[in-house]
Amino acid sequence: MRTALKDAAALLFSGDRELRGILAVTARMSVGSSVIALLIGVPIGIWLGSARFRGRNALVVLNRTLMGMPPVVCGLLFYLLFSGVGPFRSLRLLFTVRIMVMAQVALITPLVVGNMESYVAAAAPPVRETAKGLCLPAGKVFLLLVNESLYQVVSVYLIAFARAIAEVGAVSMVGGAIAWKTNVMTTAIMQYTNRGDFSMGVALGVILMAASLAVNAGVTALQGRLGQ
Amino acid sequence: MKRLSVILLCFLMTAGLLSGCGGGKDPAPGQDAPAAEPAAPEAPASETVDTVILKEADDQMLNTYTLMAVDPAAPFTDADGNPVADVAVNTAGADALIRWLLLPETLELAAGYGREEFGDSLFYVREDAPVSSGPVEAASGETRTIRLSTTTSVNDSGLLSELLPLFETAYGYTVEVQSAGTGKAIAAAKYGNADLILVHSKSQEEAFAADGFARIVEGFDSERLSFLYNYFVLCGPSADPAGAGEAAGVLDAFSSIASGKYVFISRGDGSGTHTKELSLWPEELGITAEAESFADYTDWYVSANAGMGACLVMAEELGGYILTDKATYLTFFANHGVL
Repeated sequence: MRTALKDAAALLFSGDRELRGILAVTARMSVGSSVIALLIGVPIGIWLGSARFRGRNALVVLNRTLMGMPPVVCGLLFYLLFSGVGPFRSLRLLFTVRIMVMAQVALITPLVVGNMESYVAAAAPPVRETAKGLCLPAGKVFLLLVNESLYQVVSVYLIAFARAIAEVGAVSMVGGAIAWKTNVMTTAIMQYTNRGDFSMGVALGVILMAASLAVNAGVTALQGRLGQ
Repeated sequence: MKRLSVILLCFLMTAGLLSGCGGGKDPAPGQDAPAAEPAAPEAPASETVDTVILKEADDQMLNTYTLMAVDPAAPFTDADGNPVADVAVNTAGADALIRWLLLPETLELAAGYGREEFGDSLFYVREDAPVSSGPVEAASGETRTIRLSTTTSVNDSGLLSELLPLFETAYGYTVEVQSAGTGKAIAAAKYGNADLILVHSKSQEEAFAADGFARIVEGFDSERLSFLYNYFVLCGPSADPAGAGEAAGVLDAFSSIASGKYVFISRGDGSGTHTKELSLWPEELGITAEAESFADYTDWYVSANAGMGACLVMAEELGGYILTDKATYLTFFANHGVL
């Protein structure tokens, strides 16, 4: 473990070109996918949490099932769809960062929806009552709910980001872990582990956790300001 | 009623958690006392590796690496088995890479790889290797990206990262390397996700060609361009309880491992190494790639379904025997020192 920590520090400060490449791809992939998932998931989650209609429970159950979708299954699905023989082969997306983001969005969006839904379901009734009293239109009520749940949105973003940066099953499948192109931290750790270079794997793991810590600290500080 | 059931559930979960943790920690002093004595001197941190090469350079253990170009007119089918016609394959790029790899200069580089670092060549060039006289075409817009699907051993041993940058800078291509066991590498090509493959399993290569997925690159006379080789090696604990090192041949070594029921780590992943291993067991055991076939041997036969490096770690941990290509063995144990 001590050699691994030393390796991690040495690696980080040596400005290793490959490591910088891997970090850049990881950042593009995890920030891209978590932001897109948030943009799609938050409106759906708020709507699902506040609306009352037939079949709502079925949708909630469906979403909760999708929350548990194994990443490799999602990866396999995208692999088959975008393969050289798959129906979307003409898009030539397999082994690109873009398809990694797409697979991640498919995995993360249900998490965002689920977390927003359960928060809004509890927070919506008083908001709606107030809105009713003020005779606000539906659009305004929605915005009011968004405003009410901003703190939660930030928390949910961190969940989405954590999932995106830590995921390996789907991204290794659709990305192929190609050096300089689609190799992210988690797939690089897998490669080093497979080669038996465990200390390098742990070193990358330490760097990954440090990056995650920085993002979480920054966003949580932002969230604290939102709360005031 | 609701509240009562919630409390009950909480109580049950806490109890389960406590009993789970407690069971692990419980020292049971009376029983453990005698067993603890011999274990007292902790094994030294595994700086040195106990798994050693026991059998090598046996003719049965020849490990030949073959290049094959993917045919765009191959009978591709999608996941449901429906034929697919317009699969994009970069034939010009694959031709260029194959011609470059088979240039005499490149072959010499490959043969010398690892000699400095490991004191031994990791790969040898076959005497009858097909040699190209060029010309290697430079990349153009359409052909710039070449998808090479390959086996883990050539990638993990560092051979490709030594050779490919030379090719990329000289001719302007980008080679995207996906590495997996031979079975998966070939499957990727069959799904239209590779322009050429570099693998090491004769039977799977021949099936790939027979199914019409390979093409003959102009200037060569076979779909299978076998150019490099090294040897599979049988490794095991240095104490060698099965006496594999003294066995007359590798087949005898395998049969003594089987008859003594010594732990053996199998890749179990359809890779070239796995295919080779299956061919070395005594026939009466009937071990094949099917899980059913070794169901009776699970007390010693470990089907790991993992990469070569991960399997080597497992062999080291379990003190088991393992079949590996020599290149991965040497690179793996060069890294192992820092574990």
